[in-house]
Amino acid sequence: MRALHPFTLIGIAVVLPALAWILPAPWGGIATATVALGLCAVGGAGSGIRLLRVALLTAAPFWFFLFLLHGVGGMVTTGVRLTTMIASFLWLIAVLPPACLVEAMVAAGWPASAAFLLSATLSAVPALRERASRIVDAQRCRGLDTRGGPVARFAALRALALPLVLSALHEVDERALALETRGFTPGVRRTPLAPPRDRPAERVVRWGMLVICVGLLVWRIV
Amino acid sequence: MADRVSALVLEGVTYHYPATRTPALADITLTVDRGEVAGVIGNTGAGASTLLLVAGDLVPRVLGGELTGRVTRAGRSALLLPTPWTQASGMAFTVRDEVAFGPANLGWPLERITAAVERSLARVDATHLEARDPATLSGGELQRVILAGILAMQPEILLLDEPTAELDPAGAVAVWGLLRELAAEGTAILVATSDLDALPDAADRILWLAGGRVRAVGSTRDVLSDAALWSEAGPGSTAVAGAWRRAALDAPPPLTVADAVERVR
Repeated sequence: MRALHPFTLIGIAVVLPALAWILPAPWGGIATATVALGLCAVGGAGSGIRLLRVALLTAAPFWFFLFLLHGVGGMVTTGVRLTTMIASFLWLIAVLPPACLVEAMVAAGWPASAAFLLSATLSAVPALRERASRIVDAQRCRGLDTRGGPVARFAALRALALPLVLSALHEVDERALALETRGFTPGVRRTPLAPPRDRPAERVVRWGMLVICVGLLVWRIV
Repeated sequence: MADRVSALVLEGVTYHYPATRTPALADITLTVDRGEVAGVIGNTGAGASTLLLVAGDLVPRVLGGELTGRVTRAGRSALLLPTPWTQASGMAFTVRDEVAFGPANLGWPLERITAAVERSLARVDATHLEARDPATLSGGELQRVILAGILAMQPEILLLDEPTAELDPAGAVAVWGLLRELAAEGTAILVATSDLDALPDAADRILWLAGGRVRAVGSTRDVLSDAALWSEAGPGSTAVAGAWRRAALDAPPPLTVADAVERVR
């Protein structure tokens, strides 16, 4: 999967949820959810089962609340669609190297700022997790109890979230200065460093997926 | 030594950060020549970092505020900030790509970028890190990588804010040596530092800032020998000069161990 062009991977991750909502329920959603979960199982770069578990655990609360709100029928109809969305997104995150996507966007002539927005978002998750962990350690050193029941944990959340948000905001200015001084200015036309190969067959597949989605949408509407 | 041609000129520069009444810099006049290393010293809040932002055309353009006076730059400038973790581009997932980030933004051909990256990594002794993810580097390693990224852009004016803050002693010595090499190649260098012990060997001139104003400017020896550096507004001087002063020996104090040995003999 990692050998595919980033745009193809994104195309698959977008088309599956689109089909889940376009195709008749519940079988359309069941089919797309099966495919998306299957991709998670085989495409998780050696951690497929773990990825599959994360997808199912993430989807489980939605199924629960859908059952409470809509009963079994509504739960299945919407649940498989949401599961498709969750599994597709997680699979995409697992198989798409952010650097590869950035290079593909730059090579395709996208504005560097758009590529930055995407890659910075993808790389922000581990950075924020690391910082949150440091803040938790620091607050524990100062006597904050982050364990215990839900009330105690909720009370501790403010002492953890506030420094995290404020430090992230403080960093914005410095990051802006750093990017500016390294030539990252609006309208810049970056040199692609290692653009991924975009095979003609993959371009055909992407267009094919788009045509199928539009065709099915028209079929459903008409 | 390259010919004495001014690369950076500040004339009567005063700068206010947004929504402040007290100027962060007041009536600063400074010239940095090609091939010169000018050090900026001062206590916390003296305005050294702000001076570098002004010199790098980053304020008021990026952060806002109000600037009066005139700033002239003969060439491209680049600034190294003291916190390496906020300077990583966020668009590179290997050290090599991180260093190439700036040159790629300049639209250089790939061959030129490759050559500049390899040379810069070698100059900061970070070639062995090139395949690593920047997010996995230590503070000192990342500082060297960011410096390499700045050098890869081949700026004519190099601005550095506490460039050795994250480095171990050996790494700091290497960076000060590198600055002398770059100056010998014609780069104009303005460096704000609290590593005063490094300045006698590294800097040609010193600018002492206090409260956003120029308190003294002159040769490294003259400024660092000034007894006023030990006043409340001063950052002190080198460790050797401090020991000499505490021993109440003859002024002016030596600035380095070698100077002190020479004086004692």
